[in-house]
Amino acid sequence: MPHLSIAESLREGITEEMERDERVFCMGEDIAIPGGWGGAFTVTLDLENKFPDRMINTPIAELGFFGAGVGAAMMGMRPIVDVQYSDFLFLAMDQIVNNAAKMRYMSGGTITVPLVMRAPVGATGRGSQHAQNMERYFTGVPGIKVVAVSTAYDAKGVLKAAVRDDNPVMIFEHKLLYGSKGARAESGTVDGSSDVPDEDYTVPLDRAVVRREGTKVTILGWLLTAHLASQAADQLATEGIDAEVIDVRSLSPFDYDTIGDSVRKTGRVVIVEEGPKTGGVSAELAAGIAERFSDSLATTVARVASADVPVPFTPILENAYRPDVARILAAARKML
Amino acid sequence: MKDVEIRVPDLGTTTDEIEVVQWLVRVGEQVTLGQPLLVVETDKASMELESVAAGTLKQIIAEPGQEVATGEVLAIVASEGAALPAMSTPSTTTAPAPRLQKQAVRQLDNALAIPDVDIDGYDNDFLLSLYERMALIRTFEERVKLLFLEGSMPGTIHQCQGQEACAVGVCAALNQDDFITSTFRGHGHALAKGVTVEGLLYELFGALSGCCKGKGGSMHVGDMSIGMVPGIAIVGGGVPIAAGMGLAFKMQKSSQVVASFFGDGAIAEGAFHEGINLAAIWDLPVVYVCENNHYGASTRVDKVMRNQRISERAATYGIHAQTIDGNDVLAVYETARKAVELCRDAQGPVLLELLTYRRTGHSRRDACHYQPSEERDYWMSRDPITLLGVQLVERRGVTQNELDELQTKVNQQFDDALAAVPDQPMPTVDDLTTDLWV
Repeated sequence: MPHLSIAESLREGITEEMERDERVFCMGEDIAIPGGWGGAFTVTLDLENKFPDRMINTPIAELGFFGAGVGAAMMGMRPIVDVQYSDFLFLAMDQIVNNAAKMRYMSGGTITVPLVMRAPVGATGRGSQHAQNMERYFTGVPGIKVVAVSTAYDAKGVLKAAVRDDNPVMIFEHKLLYGSKGARAESGTVDGSSDVPDEDYTVPLDRAVVRREGTKVTILGWLLTAHLASQAADQLATEGIDAEVIDVRSLSPFDYDTIGDSVRKTGRVVIVEEGPKTGGVSAELAAGIAERFSDSLATTVARVASADVPVPFTPILENAYRPDVARILAAARKML
Repeated sequence: MKDVEIRVPDLGTTTDEIEVVQWLVRVGEQVTLGQPLLVVETDKASMELESVAAGTLKQIIAEPGQEVATGEVLAIVASEGAALPAMSTPSTTTAPAPRLQKQAVRQLDNALAIPDVDIDGYDNDFLLSLYERMALIRTFEERVKLLFLEGSMPGTIHQCQGQEACAVGVCAALNQDDFITSTFRGHGHALAKGVTVEGLLYELFGALSGCCKGKGGSMHVGDMSIGMVPGIAIVGGGVPIAAGMGLAFKMQKSSQVVASFFGDGAIAEGAFHEGINLAAIWDLPVVYVCENNHYGASTRVDKVMRNQRISERAATYGIHAQTIDGNDVLAVYETARKAVELCRDAQGPVLLELLTYRRTGHSRRDACHYQPSEERDYWMSRDPITLLGVQLVERRGVTQNELDELQTKVNQQFDDALAAVPDQPMPTVDDLTTDLWV
């Protein structure tokens, strides 16, 4: 079974979906320039040679081409639209929130918008405006499915499921997990690679996944923090503390079945989020868990998140901004 | 004769009481539709309330100084005929108003240069179909306005009286399977493209039988089955969407085109620039139709644009463009037809600027005090329906009687649809969460 990075598995997934369905096409900045980058993180590298008519390289105009993605999707195409950095989604916000998400509802259920959106998140040495975790701005938007992928296996399966889904789907990816190579490689990268089967498969868009089974405490994370949660659980295991790690993966809707099973077992929850604590995804998740499973909770849900500041540049501050294993351990130990 | 109660409309103010200041009409006097009857004061301002019926003022119920709540009766008008009298046929006896001065109409692009449109080049059936469709839109808008004034219709409305030639001329140049995008001011576009009076009216009433099951409302009317995307009410928002639709048609090797309607307010939006530029660089089959009605809300276009003409913007994108008289339905039709041809021939997109005028308020209860009266008079004298009617009578041997019959027909269409409003199924609370996901 081939072992792939997330960038490679996404590329495979896109390629296979474009081969399978001629309505699928890609649209974005710097995604289809021969001799170029294959997008900011090499995901679409060389695809312009395979699909010369379906790799649409755009001007720097996120509002425009996200709107164009909505229009093309409404007319029966299945666009995969991406931004180089998720921060740029703010420029496209009107088209995503007011049109992609609402068009079906406003039309009384007659319009279908099978649009896939891809966006890289994460603090990676680029200062404040190429670093935000944008998940929080989309989890509360009715009409958009939001997924976050932390492994190569999930990335390909989620991409394929998203392309085949008839609703708008936003896929968040993490810059430190791509495993991009060459000039587009990141420093401080975390290994998101996996064995990826050759045969066709999909990963459901509405399911969390248990990464490690345990009984004492449930640690919830996604993207980079899913990996940090696993590292923390490894450490806790050496101390005799058996932690369960759940990769939330589906950020809208949340998979409260999987999460609930775990909460009922452990009674303790730590949620780890990269991004400011106030108004984050973890706030909604904590409230949702409290509403549903309060009888099972032995103690208050804990959140490990970033400070309520923009992402700083200097490495010492950026590292302080990003949740880390030590803070996860401290939160877990405190409730045990 | 029938008594029509004049009630306090929902004025959208924070309190629901108004004070009657002064009556402008005495009992026994004749009143016309829309005539100011009285001055009232709200918590915000004083304003005039108009009559929703024509006839005789029979009784004043609320005297000056009295406070009256929303929905309560102010007076009774003994109406001539129906409670909501039918629209009169636009008069064709007035002299035709002057066409726009030639120098005001700059042709930027020879590919779209319009020949002098000669009404003799068309058969009467076609011409009458344009007339009837414009009359239908006018009637719909005027009748709906009264329904709002009486307070029987929920929400808000943005109307298009005086701009009918834009919608009808452009849509007449499209095929059934071509698409349009529209705006919050979309009733005319909807009727021009083929949304039924029933589908549109019931949508405004929020009924399940509306064209969007009541989930869209006045600002989002549309019907994909006849080629109309529900109105996009964020200014400029339809411009990129139309580019994407055009991109789909191009990739599908379809001959379909998109006509994307927006107003002069949209041209200052980033979406306008980004969307048109995408359509330009990819040669997409999109006719961008700017209905320059001279006002974005209360702001006149010359306050927000340095160019003389909106169509001048096309030069920066390297695309075809034309400014034409948007109140001349044949000029609009001919230019749109050529624009559609260019698009089907992979020479799109095209930007059309249709000069017209917003004679109603931006939305309900806007009295347009910022519009100079000479400007209003000029454009009122260039009524698109009257302009065509005059030509039909003077040059094509159509009788006034025939035009009256068409008006009677569209009145009947509206009356029939309106009469069935009480029978329409309404959504239940169970419908709140449907139609969101596939």
